[in-house]
Amino acid sequence: MNDQTATNLTEVEQARKVALAVQDVSKTYGATRALDRVSLEVTTGAIHGLMGGNGSGKSTLIKMLAGVVTPDEGKLSLKGEWIDARSHTPARAKASGLHFVHQQNSTFPDLTVAENLALGRGFESTAVKSINWKAQKARARKVLDRFEIDVAADTHLVRLSPAAQMMVAIARALQDQDHTDERGVLVLDEPTASLPKHEVDVLLTALRRYAADGQTIIYVSHRLEEVTAITNEVTVLRNGCVASRLTGAEISHDTLVAGITGSSSSSQNFGSRRSADAIASRVHLSQGAGFRETALTLSRRTSDGLSDEMLLVRAGEIVGIAGLLGSGRSRMLKQIFGATPRDEFDVTVRSGTVPSSDMRTAMKRGLAFVPENRLREAALPELSIAENLSITSLSEHSRAGWIRPARERMAAQHLINEFGVRAPSTSAPLTALSGGNQQKVILARWLQRRPDVLLLDEPTQGVDIGARNEIHDLVRAAASAGTAVLVVSSDFGELAALAQRAVVISGGEVVDSVDGPLTEDILNDTVYAQEKAL
Amino acid sequence: MTHTQDTTNGPAGSPDPATLPAPVGSAEAEQKRKAARARTGKARFVDFLESYALLVILVVIALFFCFWSETSSTFPTLANMRILLASQAVIGVISLGTLLPLLCQEFDLSVGNIAGLSAIMVAASVSSNGSVLGAVAIVLAIGVVIGGANALIVTRLHVNGVITTLGMSTILGGIILQRTGGLAPASNIPQSLTNFGTGLVAGVPVIFITLLVIAAITYFVLNHTSLGRQIYAVGSNMDAAKLVGLRTDGLRAATFVVGALLCALGGLLYVSRAGGASPNVGATFLLPAFAAAFLSAASVRPGRFNVWGTIIAVYFLAVLNNGLSLAGVDPYVNDYVNGGALIAGVALATVLYRRRTT
Repeated sequence: MNDQTATNLTEVEQARKVALAVQDVSKTYGATRALDRVSLEVTTGAIHGLMGGNGSGKSTLIKMLAGVVTPDEGKLSLKGEWIDARSHTPARAKASGLHFVHQQNSTFPDLTVAENLALGRGFESTAVKSINWKAQKARARKVLDRFEIDVAADTHLVRLSPAAQMMVAIARALQDQDHTDERGVLVLDEPTASLPKHEVDVLLTALRRYAADGQTIIYVSHRLEEVTAITNEVTVLRNGCVASRLTGAEISHDTLVAGITGSSSSSQNFGSRRSADAIASRVHLSQGAGFRETALTLSRRTSDGLSDEMLLVRAGEIVGIAGLLGSGRSRMLKQIFGATPRDEFDVTVRSGTVPSSDMRTAMKRGLAFVPENRLREAALPELSIAENLSITSLSEHSRAGWIRPARERMAAQHLINEFGVRAPSTSAPLTALSGGNQQKVILARWLQRRPDVLLLDEPTQGVDIGARNEIHDLVRAAASAGTAVLVVSSDFGELAALAQRAVVISGGEVVDSVDGPLTEDILNDTVYAQEKAL
Repeated sequence: MTHTQDTTNGPAGSPDPATLPAPVGSAEAEQKRKAARARTGKARFVDFLESYALLVILVVIALFFCFWSETSSTFPTLANMRILLASQAVIGVISLGTLLPLLCQEFDLSVGNIAGLSAIMVAASVSSNGSVLGAVAIVLAIGVVIGGANALIVTRLHVNGVITTLGMSTILGGIILQRTGGLAPASNIPQSLTNFGTGLVAGVPVIFITLLVIAAITYFVLNHTSLGRQIYAVGSNMDAAKLVGLRTDGLRAATFVVGALLCALGGLLYVSRAGGASPNVGATFLLPAFAAAFLSAASVRPGRFNVWGTIIAVYFLAVLNNGLSLAGVDPYVNDYVNGGALIAGVALATVLYRRRTT
């Protein structure tokens, strides 16, 4: 039966000239179905948009194309030849002309344009195998001409505009395909996430030109405006399935949003379904307990010396910060805590104002911050669980600078029990724990200080579903004990499950807010609507 | 597919063998707890082996030299033991001075020449005026000035620590050469100082007892005070330490300054023991001190640089070198031993660190 469909597709392919096709690809991670029989067809010479919210399976599909993720089943056609998708490898992706340029791009800022173009390809060399810089530069100039990039070959990449850097990365990926009939497929993964508006236009113009020249492009983005402006066909993923396929005039803001968010009533989403009950119980709780006092105020300084309220969080309230990648949501949390300098806005808490770039004072004023990247910014890996817990409260555990080990151990044991950390002992190193339990330790580290304001950045990233629910419960418990919580998450399902209301951030500014009961769909709608308005 | 839906919505989630038991009181949990206890029993033995392997090897090597015909008449003598304990006390103190910055992931390559400069300046000073108090002042001044300079360059100018201290070490070498002209200064060390360097209390060299006292103080500060905990936190993850409000720059600076003070003190101890100072002595301290500091991560508290591990490592290297010298091997063999030990120390530290953190 599969053979039958394959033959049919091949016929269609010949008619439409399909550059790349994927058929019935599935991938399961533990309990999550990341891709569920996804099929995709990319017409030769088209710019094919690939869209979907967080967790839609978009990145899994890209990784599968790159040969980095092996799917459970499915077929793949490159250059008209069907293969079992499970046998796809990075080497094969490269050999069949798939070129990937990622948002966190792999260019080297301190090297020149010519050097960047040569890396990964090989340098022009002289008879004695030393690099022939003259030939190298000449070749780089030729590539730059061909891709119409108006920069000198010996400029250091860091001096170029972000759009030009991205174009050099693209040129590097494509430099070797000289003949039109040998064109492969260029996959651009969120190429504009870190580009300012006018730079985006420069890049899009260049991409249109390459496509007109016959280059097939897969354009992965969550920016609706760009996708409607540049693509000829779009595949939208939702919950691991293809939600819609659009071509030509069908591609509009509304059709894309409908595809990304689905019809809100029939949503199967776990997060949004939970949230209704959770909100009902929590609204009751916070009102009953009478936590109406303002715990955190962010105010922007205006030109006339007055201040303009940007965000206000009351004690016992959980407020979400929603925004797209590159909207400045993580940066805002770091600025509030003082880990990143700020001069755009002032922070006031109950015990006074919080100065910029002074984390110690921020802590004294009752702020707590759980950063996004646990491994890099929170874990003290080879230190024990007890030591990881007490580090924010050393003065509590010591007398005149001397640590009291029994007291420290007891406090750690108490926290482990209270926060449901599954740990062999308080003296085990932090890395003996699973990711979810490590995150509970980090949370406990801060909550033992009974902070007035808790800043959470992606609190359950890389954490399994069970631990995720437990962490949510711990955050709710902290809120009902009077802590004001500000939470950033790229998973809108999580925000819907956790927060009572949310603000939308774009370009480091609060641009909108959602006050009613949150659902993943409402958040998606608001965030993408904002994106269109900009 | 339907199965996955069910488990995500189930109230307790699926029982995952990878996570440790959650429910308390059930028979299943009891069983798992027993299994965990059995595991810790075995783990404890492995931990013990890992922790004290170097000490065991030290004892085995010492016993070997006691019974090996080449050394059985010279190694296990009271005189040799005293020489061994006393001569290594200087290296021991300098190793602790190396250990402190290393705890913050900083290399101080100037340790040898700080001790060397301290030695020649102390020797010159006490020879001219006989004041031990003056010698102590020199030690303090060298420690604060040179350690402080290293600290400022590393934390304020953000120059890589290896480069900073390599440059500093070279400059200090120049100062030593300038002050001595490459010759050992004529020395007239007062009796009070040499008595300290060569004296015995209850048959044990005073200078070795001094090392133990310094090591004990360092140990207590590092492991039983808030300051020491903060230093270990900086060494574990500087970004995380910053984000829990630690003064990471101040802590790193403190380890450089106190480390330099210990090295300068090492110079004073050297003069008291050797009764003089030579311009080349600094260079001979550097490698054994680093080897010992790195080997410390392979004993007592595996995966972490620590005080008693450093002391064990100093004497491990000393016994090995001493035994081989007594057996009459050529002096270059000692270089093989020290160099090999440094590499082995780093390799072991890396392996044990990985085992603990992954």
